Amino acid sequence: MVSPYLLHLLVFVAFPVIFSFILMFHRWNIISSMEFVGLRNFVVLFQDRLFFTAIYNTLIFLLIHIPLQIAVALLLAEMLNQQIRFRAFFRAAYFLPVVISGVVVTIVWQQLYGFDMGLINRILTGLGLSRVGWLTDPNIAMPSIALMATWKNVGLYVVLFLVGLQGVPEHFYEAADIDGASHWQKFIYITLPAIKPTIFMVVVLSTLGGFSLFIEPYIMTGGGPMNSTISAMLYIYKQGFTFYHMGYAASLGFFFAAIIMLVVVIQKKLIDRE
Amino acid sequence: MMKKFVLYSGLTAGALMFLYPFIWMISASLAPEQEIASLNLLPTEFTLRSYLHMIDKIPIGRAFINSLLVSVSVTAGVLVFSSMVGYALSRLHFRGRDMIFYIILFTMTLPFQITLIPQYILIVEFGWANTYLALIVPYLVSTLGILMFRQYFMAIPQDLIDAARIDGCGELKILFRILWPNSVPALVTVGILTFMSVWNEVLWPLIVIRTEELMTMPQMVALFAVGGRAESQLGTKLASAALLAIPVLVAYSFFQRYFIQSMATSGLKE
Amino acid sequence: MVRSGIELGVILLTVCISFSACGRVDDQNRSYFLYWSANNPYEIEFADFVVKAWNQKNPAIPVRFQPVPEGRSSEEFILAAVVGKTTPDFYSNMWQGDVESYARAKVLVALDTLDGFLQTISQRCDSTTIAEITSSDGHIYQIPWKINPIMLLYNKKEMASIGFEEPPATYSEYLEAAERFCKDFNGDGYFDRWIGYSEVLVTWLQRFFDFYPLYLAASGGGKLVEGSKVMFVNDAAIKSLAFLQKLYARNYFSKEILSARQDVFLSSVIATRFTGPWEIIHAEKFKPAGFEYDFCPLPIPDDFQGNRYTYGDPKNIVIFNTCRDPQAAWEFLAFIINRENDLKFLEITTQLPRRKNIFSDPYYSDYFKKNQKMIPFARQSRFVRGTDVSPVLKEVFDIISQEYEFCVVHNKKSPEQAVADAAQAVQLILE
Repeated sequence: MVSPYLLHLLVFVAFPVIFSFILMFHRWNIISSMEFVGLRNFVVLFQDRLFFTAIYNTLIFLLIHIPLQIAVALLLAEMLNQQIRFRAFFRAAYFLPVVISGVVVTIVWQQLYGFDMGLINRILTGLGLSRVGWLTDPNIAMPSIALMATWKNVGLYVVLFLVGLQGVPEHFYEAADIDGASHWQKFIYITLPAIKPTIFMVVVLSTLGGFSLFIEPYIMTGGGPMNSTISAMLYIYKQGFTFYHMGYAASLGFFFAAIIMLVVVIQKKLIDRE
Repeated sequence: MMKKFVLYSGLTAGALMFLYPFIWMISASLAPEQEIASLNLLPTEFTLRSYLHMIDKIPIGRAFINSLLVSVSVTAGVLVFSSMVGYALSRLHFRGRDMIFYIILFTMTLPFQITLIPQYILIVEFGWANTYLALIVPYLVSTLGILMFRQYFMAIPQDLIDAARIDGCGELKILFRILWPNSVPALVTVGILTFMSVWNEVLWPLIVIRTEELMTMPQMVALFAVGGRAESQLGTKLASAALLAIPVLVAYSFFQRYFIQSMATSGLKE
Repeated sequence: MVRSGIELGVILLTVCISFSACGRVDDQNRSYFLYWSANNPYEIEFADFVVKAWNQKNPAIPVRFQPVPEGRSSEEFILAAVVGKTTPDFYSNMWQGDVESYARAKVLVALDTLDGFLQTISQRCDSTTIAEITSSDGHIYQIPWKINPIMLLYNKKEMASIGFEEPPATYSEYLEAAERFCKDFNGDGYFDRWIGYSEVLVTWLQRFFDFYPLYLAASGGGKLVEGSKVMFVNDAAIKSLAFLQKLYARNYFSKEILSARQDVFLSSVIATRFTGPWEIIHAEKFKPAGFEYDFCPLPIPDDFQGNRYTYGDPKNIVIFNTCRDPQAAWEFLAFIINRENDLKFLEITTQLPRRKNIFSDPYYSDYFKKNQKMIPFARQSRFVRGTDVSPVLKEVFDIISQEYEFCVVHNKKSPEQAVADAAQAVQLILE
């Protein structure tokens, strides 16, 4: 019964991981033969400023995207958790960008962010403000992408938080009301601790998703301006599939995967301690 | 009372923020070229010119069919194989069962970044580059699917299964005749999740498919947006994006409850 | 009836493997020669014509052709074919920059070992071209096929209206034209029309349409790399970068991606463009009434002396080593690049065969009389460069492109610094 799965696992998971490990020590461009180079790929890797810039960019992205997403998702979930009608409609509206392809979202937002003809800047100039270089200013480009990514994914987390919020027993709040607690206090002392597992899940999911950031910079900026939006995945893609430096790309991939695992472990430790 | 008003306006403002870009996209794709960059939602005249131009430039219909083919195949495959393994892990007893379960959990934690390059090389060596196989086979097994089915099957009463065995049913028959009809929610959930994620997948097709005949829809639209073939016509780019979004929009408007439920439960399983 | 999962698994595996065998484009046991051509309708028409003509005269060496994907994706297609050993016998759309890495992988036939090749080639091309296509091991693996020189397309009326009856020839003249042409019409502080536009994208490909042609013009056809030496640390690189930098710093070129509208040249939003002959077909189709345009060589530094070169975007023909009879293949290829067929090619595709003296050869003068717009290109074809011989050309241009972005687009580095940094990075990968 499980043999097809085991076969698949062997071929598409186990073998690649092992092969990746071997590939890291070679130089190969697919058409020539593999050439053993020992640790050379790693020597190059540690001098590869662009790779570390890419990792740095990805981390910046996460640092903006995750808190923003949690804050907005929690806010919207809180609002949806009240006694309101049309809850299904609102929920469906917020969730829509989640199911739509990232390609569509990126193309549309590229038009929103355009410098001279983009919608956002036209609104700004209409209001008498000056244009913002959403995608052309190296300091703003990555945050712009983070904003767009938040917009795209927040719906999912609204739903998850909503489920979590609805699981908080009413009488917790009632007891707090008796004690005269303010809304804010109730939120911090009752709601947040109660949904900690949900928060953790949201953080981990967003992190894993964020590390695979690729198609948005690929379409929107190609990694510019001045390498401020090149994500780690985009860089690995470039090394492996534009230049066909298979061995080097494999070592980049491995290194990057190690960083991801490290970050997830750190996150778990941090949240457990809270 | 005031509070309600603020609440509703906030929620509505939020809804608008999430819906407006899509509405604008569709309306701009139907607008004449000069009006595309305008902010208003209703163009003075509706025209299909952008769509016609796009159809002329790229084989978007073909891409749609490719996406459909791949998504349906993978979904079917995932449903079959994941339920098989889920069944085995929940109901069958054999040596190494628990070990396999832990292996599955472990592979879920592996970031795909490690396996991407070697998987590509594998595809090339098999000769599957630029074939449907490259798009379908690597996705045939979904660990998430396995876990969900396992979870769901564990709740099905053992008597049903025993009764079928007594009747002389083989394992596969049990799976398809007994378990499947009783697990529609799981099937729907895994089905929707798989379909959506394969439909929207774009990195992998970009890597293994380079001929236009086999490109998937998101891939084609992405390349169209990045490359120069739109001839700088924004309307055409938006038309292609709109076309990519519309099938999902339609499915979503009918089945949004299932979509949301599926993705929410998958998140909870983590 | 499938009894167990194991059986199912085995069946599926067999199905998969047999599928993969089915999916092959072609196996090498053909009875004919397979020729892959480019995918645009004109080249398909030409391939059809030339293959038919050949097959009639030479039934002993049958040839069939098949178009392959165009653009960057054609390179990956070829790569997949090489890896999967499903290559054709010959291919006519290979970008010159790709040849070296295939040559080093021993995938191509050394053409100079074929009878008659060297003779034909020296008739077709001049010595600099031949040197350009000679690989690092001394052999020649490609046949120069066609070029599309990058030149300056300009709007005659707009240029005349700002006082340039003759198009600008030097950097100073061009900058002066820019000063006069760029205007802010609606007073919002931003220009609404620019003198020209070039993609600011950092992709390595883009530099073939701005920096590289200008560098070649400024250096009289200089090299970027030679073997494992960096050759571009020179005045030409610095001056061309400085020129481009000024254009962006003064906003004469827009930094924003101008894709939110119709063709910006034809709608006079820009007055010039660095482009090739493919523009002619497009312009003729879409130009508004009364629109007049022409081509001239790219601007050069004010103190430049000598011939004005440019980049030719050369595509060449190669024979793969899976071909069972390269000599016979060469017979066919010599046929399609002969005089008559070159003329046919010109007529059908509006692209220049890479033939020396195409402009001075009276055989072609009729064509140029009828197609005046192609004359600047024909004149330019004597002074055209392709790419240098290097298996890491893409990476070189990628590095240059990044320095370009810092220096030219964002004004964060001086041209000298950019050139020095690029040289350092390129030196590392050349080793």
